[in-house]
Parts: sequence; C-alpha cells; structure tokens
Amino acid sequence: MEILCSTSGIVSSQFPGQGLKDIAQAGFSGIPLAPLGHAYTKDAVEDWYAWKRRQRKAKTKTWYRGWFMDHPKTLEDALRPFTERCNALGLKMPLAVGPDLGSPSGRDEEMEDLRAPVTRLVEECIRIAASSGCRSILVPPLVVGIGGEDIWSANRAYYLRLAECARQHGMTLLLGSQCKVISGHIMRGFCMDAAEAADYIDELNQAVGEERFGFCMNVGLCNLCGQNLFDFVQTIGARLKAVILSENDGCCAASLLPFTAAEQGQSRLDWLNLIRGLRSVRFDGTLIIDFGDTAASFSPILRPELLRLAKATAEYIRWQVEMEALLEKYPSRVLFGAGNMCRAYMKCYGEQYPPLFTCDNNSVRWGEEFCGLTVQSPDRLRDLPPETAVFICNVYYREIEEQLRGMGLSNPIEYFNDEYMPSFHFDRLEEQEERDAENRRTDTKRDS
Amino acid sequence: MLKIGVQTQNAIHDEDPGRDFARLRRAGFDCADFSLHGYLVNKEIYRDELNSFFSQSVSELEAFFAPHKAGAKKAGVTIHQMHMPYPIYVPKGSRRLNDYLWNEVAPKSMRICAFMECKYIVVHGFKLARFLGSEDAEWVETERFLESIAPLAKEYGVTICIENLYDAIAGHLVEGPCCDVRKCAERIDRINDKYKAEVLGFCFDTGHANVIGLDSEAFITRLGHRLKVLHIHDNDGVRDLHQIPFTFTRTRENTSSTDWEGFIRGLQAIHFDGVLNFETGPSLNAFPVSLHEDVLRLIAKIGGHFAKRIAEA
Repeated sequence: MEILCSTSGIVSSQFPGQGLKDIAQAGFSGIPLAPLGHAYTKDAVEDWYAWKRRQRKAKTKTWYRGWFMDHPKTLEDALRPFTERCNALGLKMPLAVGPDLGSPSGRDEEMEDLRAPVTRLVEECIRIAASSGCRSILVPPLVVGIGGEDIWSANRAYYLRLAECARQHGMTLLLGSQCKVISGHIMRGFCMDAAEAADYIDELNQAVGEERFGFCMNVGLCNLCGQNLFDFVQTIGARLKAVILSENDGCCAASLLPFTAAEQGQSRLDWLNLIRGLRSVRFDGTLIIDFGDTAASFSPILRPELLRLAKATAEYIRWQVEMEALLEKYPSRVLFGAGNMCRAYMKCYGEQYPPLFTCDNNSVRWGEEFCGLTVQSPDRLRDLPPETAVFICNVYYREIEEQLRGMGLSNPIEYFNDEYMPSFHFDRLEEQEERDAENRRTDTKRDS
Repeated sequence: MLKIGVQTQNAIHDEDPGRDFARLRRAGFDCADFSLHGYLVNKEIYRDELNSFFSQSVSELEAFFAPHKAGAKKAGVTIHQMHMPYPIYVPKGSRRLNDYLWNEVAPKSMRICAFMECKYIVVHGFKLARFLGSEDAEWVETERFLESIAPLAKEYGVTICIENLYDAIAGHLVEGPCCDVRKCAERIDRINDKYKAEVLGFCFDTGHANVIGLDSEAFITRLGHRLKVLHIHDNDGVRDLHQIPFTFTRTRENTSSTDWEGFIRGLQAIHFDGVLNFETGPSLNAFPVSLHEDVLRLIAKIGGHFAKRIAEA
C-alpha cells in the first residue's frame, strides 16, 4: 500500500519548491499530481463563460482563469516547473487528480454544455499524467453543464470516450463521489451510493472489455454525508484503488489531519468502520492523506513538524489496515499480555492465526488458562523457533519491547492493537465480571 | 388527498385525552401517531431506571388507554400509527433489563397497538454494529427480535415498521440501522413472504435522512410499496431536532436546507397513499403553551401543502 501526501495547503502553485521539499523531508515518497485539477474549477468555468461573452465584443487575447479549457495543449508547459521539481526531489506521482468543478449549486444547472471542452482538457490531463509517471487518474463525473440529460447516461458516454485515451496511455480511470448542495446543506450526490457506483464501474469495464475503471473513495465526503464506511468499502470491494484520507467534523467541508476533528475525546469520523472495511477487503491501493486546511492554518515555520506527524499518522493507518496481513506474514506467533487485548485477539483472530501461547510478567498468572491459551513466563520466549513472531498485546508496547530486546531475543517483535477490531466484546473484562455477578444475583433471586 | 397526522407527544395528555384529541382535530389533523414510547423513555432505559408502567397486566394497560381510544374516536381522529418504546435491547444492559424489554414491553406494546385499533407500530432496530462488526450482523439480532413479535403482528393485523436511524460518533450523527434501502427492501419482502402477511413495513424518517444527507427521492422510490408510515420533521442537518418543516436554512438566501422537493417527488413516484404524519412533538416545547394550537394548525397546513403537491403528479 503506497502513501501519498496531498499538496493542498502545503505547496504553492506559484512557488512549489519549499512545500515539495517539506513533503519529501517528512519522509513521503510521493504526491498526487493534483495541479491538473486547477485547470478546470468552478472559478475557471465562470471565468471561461465571462471570457466567451467578452470575446464576442472585443477580440483581445489575454490570460484568463478558464484559459486551459480553450488551450489544453499549454497545460503541460505550465506544469513543467512543478513536475521537474518533484523529479528532482525524488517525489513520485503515481496518481493524478483530474479537474473537478466541485459541489454544484442550483445556479450551475443553467450552465451550457461543458462536455466538449472538458473532455478535450481531461484527455490532455490523462496524457500529461501518464508522461509524469502516473498509473491512474481520478476523473470526477460531470454533474453540471450536461444539458439536462440523465446524469449517468451523460457520464457513461463521457467516461467511455476518456477510456480510449486512458488505454492508449496505460492509465486507470478512477471514478469519485460528488456531493450536492441544497441551500448550503451537503447531501449525497452522484456515486455516493456505493452499490450504484460499483454498478457503474462494472458497466464501464464491461463496455471497454478490460479493467480500465476503478474507484477513489473520499473519506471526508463520506463523513459529511454520515455514510457507513464499512459498508461503503465492502460494497466497492476490489474496485477500490485509492482512498483519500481526510477528516472533518461531519458538518463543514474541510480537509483536516486525521483524528483532529475531535469532540468528547474522540474523532467525529468513524475510523473504526473505515479501517474495518479496508482491512476486510485487504485494501492494497493508494492512500492519499489530505489535510489541506490543517496545513494551511499552520505557520510555514511549523509545517515541517506537522508534515512529520501527518506521515506518522498515515503510516499508523496503513499499519492498522494491514494488521491481518501482518499476522498472516509469520508461520507461527505468540502473544505477550493476558488481558483485554489478548482477549480481543482471540475473539477475532484466534482461530485463523492461533498463537502458541501467551505470556505475562505477572508470575501469579503463569500456568493459567486464558481465552484458550496458557499464560507462560516470558522466559519461555527464549525457546521459540526463530521465525515465530512475538505480538505484544499490551499498551505498554515500548516498555515491553525493551524488555524483550533486553532478553536478547532475535525473534521478530510486532505490536498488536485492538482499537479497530472486526468486532468487539460488549464489555471489557472488568465490566463483564460485574455484569456476570449481577446476572447471578438475578438468577438467585428468581430461584428463591 | 392524503390524510394528515401528528405525533401525540406534548399534544395529548393523560389527564384529558378527549379534550386534546378534539384540539388536534380542530387544528386540522385526521390521524395521530400515538407516542407509546413516552411511557418508558429511552434515557431511563439506558440508565436502567425502569418505571413500572409496562409491569401492569394487559387488561390494566387497556383500561389505562381506554380514554385515549375513546377520545380519539369521539374527536374523529384515527390512531394510524404508534411508536414502541426504544431501545428494546441495551448492548451493555443486564439480562434482567433486556429480558424485560423484549418479553414484557414489546409484546404488551403490540397488544396495546391492537387495542387502539392502530395498524402500524414503529420499532427501532438494534444498534450493535460497533460490537458485532457490521450492519448485517446487527440485523441478525434485530430480525431475531422481529421474529419474536411477528406472529403477534399477524394475529392482530398490525404491521411492524422498521425505521431509518442514525448512530453517533462523538456527537456526529451517521448512518445507523435500516439506512440501506436495498437491504431493507429485501428483508421486508423475505419476512413478509415467510409469514404470508404484511407483518413488516418501513417508516421513513425525513429528519434522520436529513442528518445523514440521504437522497430521499432515491430512497423512497426504491422502497416503493414497502413504505407504510412517515415521520416528517426538520432539522439543521446536524442534530435530530424534530422541528417543523421549512424552518431551517443555511444560506443568506434563507431557502430551506432540507430537500423537501426530493421528498415530494419520491412520494409522487410511488403513489404514496398513507398518512402524512409529522413527528414534531418536540417542536411544541419551543413555543409558549398559548400558541400550541396555532403551531399545530401550521403543521397541519404544511401537511395540506404536501398533500396538494403530491397530488399534482
């Protein structure tokens, strides 16, 4: 699974050098080729209309924001300083983000047919992306300016036309979701119904006779529409090629660093269901961390530190998603810890990845049977075959790891974590004991 | 024209239900959504602080509700739907609590529903996905509960209605049980086939849909004939406020931020012939008591507006 850092809020389009350097120095190996998106935005389209109107009167030739819609061939030259800088810093661009008009409002419905100029522009974007090393490009649907036609019929034709260009350049086209806005309230729009999006992708792939289309999930958009992230990921399944990790409070459209839109000591984004979903489909595509609003709100002086945190956050999410793959990696394993985390392991993974035993520093528990495992002394770890991994099932990870290293163990040492498990016990051990006691009291009362 | 109904919470009082039903009629309502859940409120259930209301025998409960039934009848108001107390299962609750909810409260609610000659009872699906891992696993438990009352539904000629609900993540309302219309349609059909009767239907809640940005038109259209009852109310798109439609806006244009047009188009598409029922009991709290009748009249007028628009199809 590759991790990319969105340039939003970090890299200036005019002077990209410092921002790109900060990203590279934070340890990111790649970014999405996002400036393509600036070629066609809501502002650009409005400017383009204005220009068209003015053009009828005065034949002046000046630059305007909708320039690339009329002159797509000039886009590559405009992007060259950016792409050259990325190459110099060793930043890869495996994925491009295509032009996006954003969330439409009622007024946009009055727009003229945009298909012809947008198609030409996006075809050029596909070509540029391919020559920049991209393997896929996110192409949002056209939801406005399609002349009142059924939205899927219009987009089907649009995507099939782009597919030919994508095939020529060996690119995968990624569909993405669109919100709609009703008097300022963000609602689910095109491709926000996962089952419908999956059907569209299958229909397109069938029409072109190959797997040319996939899906890019924008977690922030899903959160704004309160979607069940587990179900969303499960339904999209193997069609899911990229995930944009972005947080918001579920009300305001912002791109925040994951885990920062917190209230009551908890993020307002359902990371549990997202990670459950990605883990369940063994997601192995591209993770794009996008925290443009958080980054922009930090002083450029602090941004390198923020980027390091963002890198660690993205790595953490990848590690959580790949948890089951990590268990599978080793031919055998033992656990360290005989509490709630060990219990959670045994509930969800005990059958598929059975540990040889668990161990604990508390000598009172040695020999005890816990969740089907014998609790052993840590000394028993010295007898393990070299390929057996020790999974620490206790939040004092670093302390225990130090203890194990101090014992001179050469076995792989891994962390196990139960924050995002496929399922949970209703109670923690101590609560369970309390509830069992109450049930026993009720039974006694009833019997007497 | 479609009939108009309203929730009885805050509008009908046990001291003189006949007087209050007459007031509803005067305000313009044909039907009532009886708030049975008001007799065992959810906050108390979650705190395991049960009152003894549902510990009464069925005959005692019927005697208690006899004035309500008679009052509604006299006023010409049909008790079209009611709401079972919720939750019926508390994930971390004691066995005693859950046994009581499942084996006492639920069947007695069904019996009261039949006694009131009410055709529909709305129930909440269980919120267990966090523990069980998925909405599918959660539904298995909800279905187990529904199976326990479905024979009563068939016997009494009552349709149990599942409702689109939300869950909360640190105060952010997200999809809860019964928000996937495809799954709901399949489940309703399967269970009804099994019982060879319409024991299960759907209650579409506009406010719950709004807080999760659901496309009402698409949802209702796909749901089709399975849609039996409505909970119409409005909110700010963030919290479940149960307020009067058209009262929220988010822009300086001050147009409604709830997709009422999509809601109307959906009902038109399926030729909805049920009751336009408003679950707006809490909105009365915002107004002085002296204005309650006017508020109810406004709600009924909004119902009339919806009915007219739906009939335009």
